[in-house]
Amino acid sequence: MILAVLFANSEGNILVERFNGVPAEERLHWRSFLVKLGADNLKGVKNEELLVASHKSVYIVYTVLGDVSIFVVGKDEYDELALAEVIFAITSAVKDACGKIPTERLFLDKYGKICLCLDEIVWKGLLENTEKDRIRRLVRLKPPNEF
Amino acid sequence: MAQPLVKKDDDRDDEAEYSPFLGIEKGAVLQEARVFNDPQLDPRRCSQVITKLLYLLNQGETFTKIEATEVFFAVTKLFQSRDIGLRRMVYLMIKELSPSADEVIIVTSSLMKDMTSKTDMYRANAIRVLCRITDGTLLTQIERYLKQAIVDKNPVVASAALVSGIHLLETTPEIVKRWSNEVQEAVQSRAALVQFHALALLHQIRQNDRLAVSKLVTSLTRGTVRSPLAQCLLIRYTTQVIREAATTQTGDRPFYDFLESCLRHKAEMVIFEAARAITELNGVTNRELTPAITVLQLFLSSSKPVLRFAAVRTLNKVAMTHPMAVTNCNIDMESLISDQNRSIATLAITTLLKTGNESSVDRLMKQITNFMSDIADEFKIVVVEAIRSLCLKFPLKYRSLMNFLSNILREEGGFEYKKAIVDSIVILIRDIPDAKENGLLHLCEFIEDCEFTYLSTQILHFLGTEGPKTSDPSKYIRYIYNRVHLENATVRAAAVSTLAKFGAMVDALKPRVFVLLRRCLYDGDDEASLFFINLLLMYKSKFSIVRDRATLYLNTVGSDGEVIETDKVVKDFLFGSLDIPLANIETSLKNYEPAEQPFDINSVPKEVKTQPLAEKKAPGKKPAGLGAPPSGPPSTVDAYEKLLSSIPEFSDFGKLFKSSAPVELTEAETEYAVNVVKHIFDRHVVFQYNCTNTIPEQLLENVTVIVDASEAEEFAEVASKPLRSLPYDSPGQIFGAFEKPEGVPAVGKFSNMLRFIVKEVDPTTGDVEDDGVEDEYQLEDLEVVAADYVMKVGVSNFRNAWESIGPDFERVDEYGLGPRESLAEAVSAVISLLGMQPCEGTEVVANNSRSHTCLLSGVFIGNVKVLVRLQFGIDGPKEVAMKLAVRSEDDNVSDMIHEIVASG
Repeated sequence: MILAVLFANSEGNILVERFNGVPAEERLHWRSFLVKLGADNLKGVKNEELLVASHKSVYIVYTVLGDVSIFVVGKDEYDELALAEVIFAITSAVKDACGKIPTERLFLDKYGKICLCLDEIVWKGLLENTEKDRIRRLVRLKPPNEF
Repeated sequence: MAQPLVKKDDDRDDEAEYSPFLGIEKGAVLQEARVFNDPQLDPRRCSQVITKLLYLLNQGETFTKIEATEVFFAVTKLFQSRDIGLRRMVYLMIKELSPSADEVIIVTSSLMKDMTSKTDMYRANAIRVLCRITDGTLLTQIERYLKQAIVDKNPVVASAALVSGIHLLETTPEIVKRWSNEVQEAVQSRAALVQFHALALLHQIRQNDRLAVSKLVTSLTRGTVRSPLAQCLLIRYTTQVIREAATTQTGDRPFYDFLESCLRHKAEMVIFEAARAITELNGVTNRELTPAITVLQLFLSSSKPVLRFAAVRTLNKVAMTHPMAVTNCNIDMESLISDQNRSIATLAITTLLKTGNESSVDRLMKQITNFMSDIADEFKIVVVEAIRSLCLKFPLKYRSLMNFLSNILREEGGFEYKKAIVDSIVILIRDIPDAKENGLLHLCEFIEDCEFTYLSTQILHFLGTEGPKTSDPSKYIRYIYNRVHLENATVRAAAVSTLAKFGAMVDALKPRVFVLLRRCLYDGDDEASLFFINLLLMYKSKFSIVRDRATLYLNTVGSDGEVIETDKVVKDFLFGSLDIPLANIETSLKNYEPAEQPFDINSVPKEVKTQPLAEKKAPGKKPAGLGAPPSGPPSTVDAYEKLLSSIPEFSDFGKLFKSSAPVELTEAETEYAVNVVKHIFDRHVVFQYNCTNTIPEQLLENVTVIVDASEAEEFAEVASKPLRSLPYDSPGQIFGAFEKPEGVPAVGKFSNMLRFIVKEVDPTTGDVEDDGVEDEYQLEDLEVVAADYVMKVGVSNFRNAWESIGPDFERVDEYGLGPRESLAEAVSAVISLLGMQPCEGTEVVANNSRSHTCLLSGVFIGNVKVLVRLQFGIDGPKEVAMKLAVRSEDDNVSDMIHEIVASG
């Protein structure tokens, strides 16, 4: 299960948070934990360089993309490798939606499109689509190229 | 209010100033949502409003029921628009709003229309939305379309249906299971993702059917799997099949060749999955491991941190069971010590510490030293623990490892970290005799500048035990005496105790210690009044009585400063290990009221208290946090003692030796709940039946337990105390007392029958009918066993206690315990048979270990100390053999313990 996908700006404010199977009372805790993790480790990290952490059976893969930090949390079959796949799909879709590495402003401008991309990538905690071209077409309700 | 969207985005200053959602406010957005109702829809504007709604939801904003319903109804209007972008937004919005069951009906017709639409993408999305919001009844209506969708030519439609199936399996499994033919077909799909989703669903449908899973794996491992993700799933299912087959098959491991071939796959994730699967095989051999380790080694130098992390994490696990297999990777792992990612570096170090050989220890320590300064405490603790194990593995290297520990002890760090280091040094001192003097000096230096009172007192106590046994005890005195001057009262008190121990145990130091102790008499702290709190102080009390303690020790050491023969009893009392549980002495001290009569330490119960049954019934109370101290056990022994002494019939039975934990005599949720507590006295046994009436319509009167002791020949009933009335839900007690031969651990079986007069009660008014009916209720049998005569009393240091009892009454014998499920099961069976206290955590058996030593201690009836050393071994067909060595102060008791085991 992909437990959470979270986007934050460089000051740690949440831009997007989507939880799956995480009780409401634990979400605040996760949010502050992830933001702190980012603040501690993401300084000076190159765009899209993946960082990884684990706590007991939960894995976290996170990265930075322009002004935006992206965190993906998973457990069980979604270990660090699977999450790396998820976050790769997310970063490439976000770049695609924004047309370049996003600034916070650009990210917010393309907010609706990014929400649609996320909807294509993660559905209720399961990975659904991974290729950016396919995702780009799907959010525009176009069938994928290979079809 | 939101700012107008700015298209130009090449000016960063502008970007920083404006956010499209600046000042966004829920009420205003909800107002804006009214545009959804316009007869002339503006798709672009509607999309913008939906984006704002999504932004609010993603920020954790919630809509009230009314707001959500209003938005939902408005959104459904947007189905009228033919704008594709807007339609996609509408699908997402409906999913986010998750409408309630009574609202769903509004959109189902629109969605069902989309589901049968000619436009593939409408179909796919409508399926996803419908499956998200639907319930079982609607599902049966659309099942036909879903089955078609699973085998749809368009992969997006097929995937949508398959992933919906995975989700629906949780809520309506019976329907989804009917799709297995279609799913089976989809597994053969040429589209990679469809194959992946289909495989996941098919496995979930069949996961309880071993044969089906095995067939699935067999066919797919021979065929082609297009998607690397599906290949990973296949590897996982394969390992599951291997695990289940391993117990029945012999010879070559099935499917190993498949796993090994996956190591050459082009996708990294598949290679990795296969390598990890191989390392986790049960009883994996070195030959099987080698290819997996080789690919993991390559990943160690990957440029991607995730791969490095995954590789080192797996190797770390392998190192726990097969350290030699990982040694080839040591060089690569050493370079990871400087990895930017601290999680990777810590894993690398702890792996190296497990795999390193004696010659590489020094080099490794040098590298770790640089690394320690820039990691967080929680990582440091992991490293300290790994170093401790390494040192126990290579005792000859204690010098450099101990130096390392003492160096990091001097650096900054929190309590948990410092405690881990101190604990490690203490363990090394205990286990490696050569390291003792060196280690004690490190500890002495540490307390010179230690900010943690708890650690200082612990170290001082430890110094008092170990210091006097060293070749030159005098060199520690300075450090200890410094504490008397420079610390808070708790540490000062601990230091005085330690000084006294040196004085009492080292004759040469006695006169000088005496001088120092006299100086302590001028200590200003005179707060407490109870002498016995002294003992508690050594461990945990907040009070301190430095001066009183000094006086006491002066008397013990000898008032004229010369070496005199101190009374053995006093010495034992002051310096021997405290064989009374601290919680018990604390309770007794709290109950003691200052009076003419001095406090009697012999009146403190020695039994380690277990939690009574009533307490266990309160579930769900989790500890508040990691740091929260466990609550002390409730004082049941005291309560029992009070209760029994208040009953005149039992008042001349003497001192209560032991009370058992409650034994249930009825099954859960029966009409009457009865459990019994066995109270053991020297010549008597008292059964306390705790009864609860669980029927609101009944009142029980004249309740007695008729006990048949025909299978307990040595027991004779002497008294019983019935219960006059037992109303609903208000527990009462019945007692029965039996006489038995003095000091003999008589055993026997008692059958019990509850007899009473039952009267009907009107639960609403509480009125009781006058007439009652006599009735009986059969209870389970009750046994008095040998373990009832042994009290759980722990010792702090088993080896010392074992040596001090001596081999005079030692009895050793060997037993075959026959086939057992596991070693752990055999160990716990013997522990409960003997009813003794496991020491030093030896009741825990390591996974997969073939042998185990368990240490037990207790007090036998008649106040005879008894210690037991159990050595277990298990062989192939799970036959367990046990060697039992008993030492006690009485040879009869040693024999008795053997009899218990032989007859159990």
